[in-house]
Amino acid sequence: MSVISPNVLASPAANQQGQVLPTLREQVRRLERAHSIQRTGRMAVPTGIATIDALLPEGGMLTGALHEIEAGPAPSGRIASHDGAALGFAACLIGRFGPGTILWCRQPLGTLDAPPYAPALSAWFDPARLLMVTARREEDLFWAMEEGLRAPGIAAVLGETRAADPTAGRRLSLAAEKNGVPAFLLRPQPAPPQSVCTTRWRVASAALPSTAPGLADPGIARWHIELRRNRFGTPSTEEMPSWLVEWNDETHHLAVVPQARHGSAGPSPAGIARTDPNRQRLVG
Amino acid sequence: MAALNAHARAAGLRPHMRLADARTLVPDLVTAGVESEADRRLLEAIANWCDRYTPWVALDPLGAAIAEPDADGRLEACSAGGFGGDAGLLLDVTGCGHLFGEDEAGERALLTDLVERLARHDFTCRAAMADTAGAAWALARYAERQADLFCPRHGQREALAPLPVDGLRLNTPILETFLKLGLRRIGDLYALPRAPLARRFGDQPLTRLDQALGRVDEPIEPRRVPPAFRTRLAFAEPIGRPEDIAAATSRLLAALCRQLEQAGVGARKLEIALYRVDGSVDRTGIGTSRPNRDNPRLMKLFGEKLGELDPGFGVELMILAAPEVEEWSGTQDLLPDTDAAGTSFGNEDGTIDLADRLALRLGTENVVRLVPRDSHLPERVQTTAPISAKPVPEGAWARLASMKGARPTRLLQRPELVSVTALLPDDPPRQFQWRRHAHRVVRVEGPERLADEWWRPRSNGKYALASSMPPARDYYRVEDDDGGRFWLFRDGPHNAARWFLHGFCA
Repeated sequence: MSVISPNVLASPAANQQGQVLPTLREQVRRLERAHSIQRTGRMAVPTGIATIDALLPEGGMLTGALHEIEAGPAPSGRIASHDGAALGFAACLIGRFGPGTILWCRQPLGTLDAPPYAPALSAWFDPARLLMVTARREEDLFWAMEEGLRAPGIAAVLGETRAADPTAGRRLSLAAEKNGVPAFLLRPQPAPPQSVCTTRWRVASAALPSTAPGLADPGIARWHIELRRNRFGTPSTEEMPSWLVEWNDETHHLAVVPQARHGSAGPSPAGIARTDPNRQRLVG
Repeated sequence: MAALNAHARAAGLRPHMRLADARTLVPDLVTAGVESEADRRLLEAIANWCDRYTPWVALDPLGAAIAEPDADGRLEACSAGGFGGDAGLLLDVTGCGHLFGEDEAGERALLTDLVERLARHDFTCRAAMADTAGAAWALARYAERQADLFCPRHGQREALAPLPVDGLRLNTPILETFLKLGLRRIGDLYALPRAPLARRFGDQPLTRLDQALGRVDEPIEPRRVPPAFRTRLAFAEPIGRPEDIAAATSRLLAALCRQLEQAGVGARKLEIALYRVDGSVDRTGIGTSRPNRDNPRLMKLFGEKLGELDPGFGVELMILAAPEVEEWSGTQDLLPDTDAAGTSFGNEDGTIDLADRLALRLGTENVVRLVPRDSHLPERVQTTAPISAKPVPEGAWARLASMKGARPTRLLQRPELVSVTALLPDDPPRQFQWRRHAHRVVRVEGPERLADEWWRPRSNGKYALASSMPPARDYYRVEDDDGGRFWLFRDGPHNAARWFLHGFCA
C-alpha cells in the first residue's frame, strides 16, 4: 500500500502551506477508494447463523480472506485440554466453501499426535475432498498453504499451527485475496493477535445441559464462540460479540442456543432444523 | 604392491611384488597406502562423468576396485593388471558415435574425445573400442600401437591375435599353465581343437575367447538403468547463470515431451544432470503422481529443483532423462490454449499438480489423501493413500460414518493410558487422570462396544483362539466439568481393565 512519500512534502509546490492539506486529503481519498475497489466484487459464504452473518461483511465469511480460529480457554479459565471444538467449528465453516479440494496442512507432533479424524469430519464435508499435508517446519507449512491458495480447483486452505508469523500471515492474506480462496489458521491455543486476518474467532467447548447420567444425547456439541476481530464487518453493540451455538449431528444444523435454554435440558430445536432423511442413525 | 605407474614398470617392478623386493630393485621408490574406498569413489565419479557419452556405463567387474580377493588373499582375476591400476570402465556406445561424426569416424572421434577430456583432468588412461567388451578390454590393456586401440567392425579376430593371452581375462592358474605350454598369444588358441581345451581347462578359456570374438553375448550390467528416453544438450561455451540453465532445461523438456508423445507414454520420473567443466556431475530429479508429458507443468515442477543445482565453474553439457515412464493414461492432449493455461485443467488436475509440487519439497509420504477402510476399529478406519492412488468414491466416507456412533474430531495416533475412577468395574468413568490432570466426568454417553476383529491376525502374527471371547473395547464419550469432551475406552477383561484416551470430541 502506498504511503505518503517524503518528496511529496519536499516538492516546492507542496511546500506552500495551502497545498499540503489538499495533497494529504487526496492521498487519503485515494487510499479509501483503493479500499472500496478492493471490497467490491468480493464474495462471501454465509455461516448459516443469521445473527452472526448480520455482523460479517457481505453477510458471511469472505472467500478471499484469512480467517483465524483459535481454541479458547475452558469456562473455568484454564487452558482447554484440547482443540476438538475449534476444529469442529473450523470444519463446519470450511464445509460451506466448495466444491473442490480442501488443503489441510499440519505439523506432526510425533507419538502424541492427534490428527483430524475423517469419520467425524464427514458431518461437515466429504473427507475425500481433503488433501492432507504434513510439514515439519513452519516455513514449509506456510509455503504449502500459499501454494494451495494459488492452485486452481482448491476450495479452502487450512493450516494448523502454533506459529504466529506476521509476515507469513500477511503473505497468506494477500494470496487469499488475489485468488479468492479462503485461508484458515487453526490454533490449538490463543495466539498473539495478528492484524492481517479478516475475522478471528475464539472457540471453546461449552458444557451441555445436565441430563441424567448415562442418558445418551448423541451428536450434540455446544461451543462458545467469540468473534474477536471483524474487519470490514458491521460493528456490534457488544464489545466482543459472542454466542453459544449448538451443532446437532442428527439434523446437520448449527444454531444459536436461545438464552432461555442455556442451562436447562431440552429437546434440540428440531422444529427449525433442516432434517436430512438420508441420514439415519442405526441404533444398536 | 597394488598398482604401479609407467616409470615403476619400466624399472622392472610388477604388481603383487613385495615391497621389500621392490625396494631392493628401486631404493628410492615412492609409495602410498592403498585407499580402495577412495579409489572406488573416484572410479564412480569418472563413471558418472562418462554418462555424458552413453547411459550404459559399468565398472569393470574384474577391476581391482570391485573384485573381491579370494581365500588366499589373492585377486582371482586379471592378475597381470594392465596399465597402472586394474580399474576399468566399460561403456556401451552402440549408436552414440553419431553425435561426434559419421559412422566409424564418429566413433573414433568419440574415443579421442574421451581420452583427451580425461587427460585434461589429469587422468592417464587408455581407451579402446571394439565390437565386444572382451576385445576392448584386451586392447586397452595390451595393444602395443596407438592405432590398434580402435578396432574396426568385425576386426577383433585379427586385432586380438598378436596380444598376449593375459588379455583373455583368465584365472591366474590357467594363465600360468598356458604360458608353460607355450601358448603366449591369443592367436595361438584359435587353431587349438575346442573339445580337449575344454576338457583340460574347463569352460573359462573358451567362454572368454568366444566373448572376446563376439561368438557369445556378454551382458554388461549398467550402473544405473539406462532410461529409454533422454535428450542432451552440449554447450560450446560453459554456462552458469540460473536463467541459462532454466532455458536449457525447457528446451530439453520440449524435446523429451515430443519423444514421450511419439511413444504414447508419460513420464513418472525425470532426471536432469549437469556435466560441469571440472568433470563432476550434479543431478536432480522430479517425480509426478501421474504419467505426465505436459511441458509447462513439468517445467513448473523443475522450477523448484533447479535452484538446488550448482553449476560450479560452468556447465558444458546437460542431459535430461525419463528413467520411469508409464503408459499415457491421461486425457487427450488439450488443444493449445495459450491464454487460459491455468484454467483449462479441471479441478482434479489442479489438485494433482499441487500435490506433485508439495510432494517434491515435503516428500511423497507427507502429501496424502484420507481413505476409508472397511473396519470397525476406529484406528483402522482411516488410512492414508498417496495422491496417485485411485480417488475415493464420493460419499464413501459419509456412508461409513452414518453406520457408527458419534466420533471424535481428533483421534490420537496412539491411545494414551489414563487412570480412571469408576464406582463398579463395569460402570462408566466418574473421574480420569490424563497428562497429570484430573478431569471430573459430568456426562457420559455409552458404552459402545467394539469387538476385536478376530479374522485378522494380531500384531504378533497369530490369530485369536476360537474358544476365547474376543477382547472388546467399551467406548464412552464423556464430558468433564470444564466442558471438554473426550473419547475413552476400557480394554481387557473387566477384572483387569485398562482405560485409554483415544480422541477429542468437538
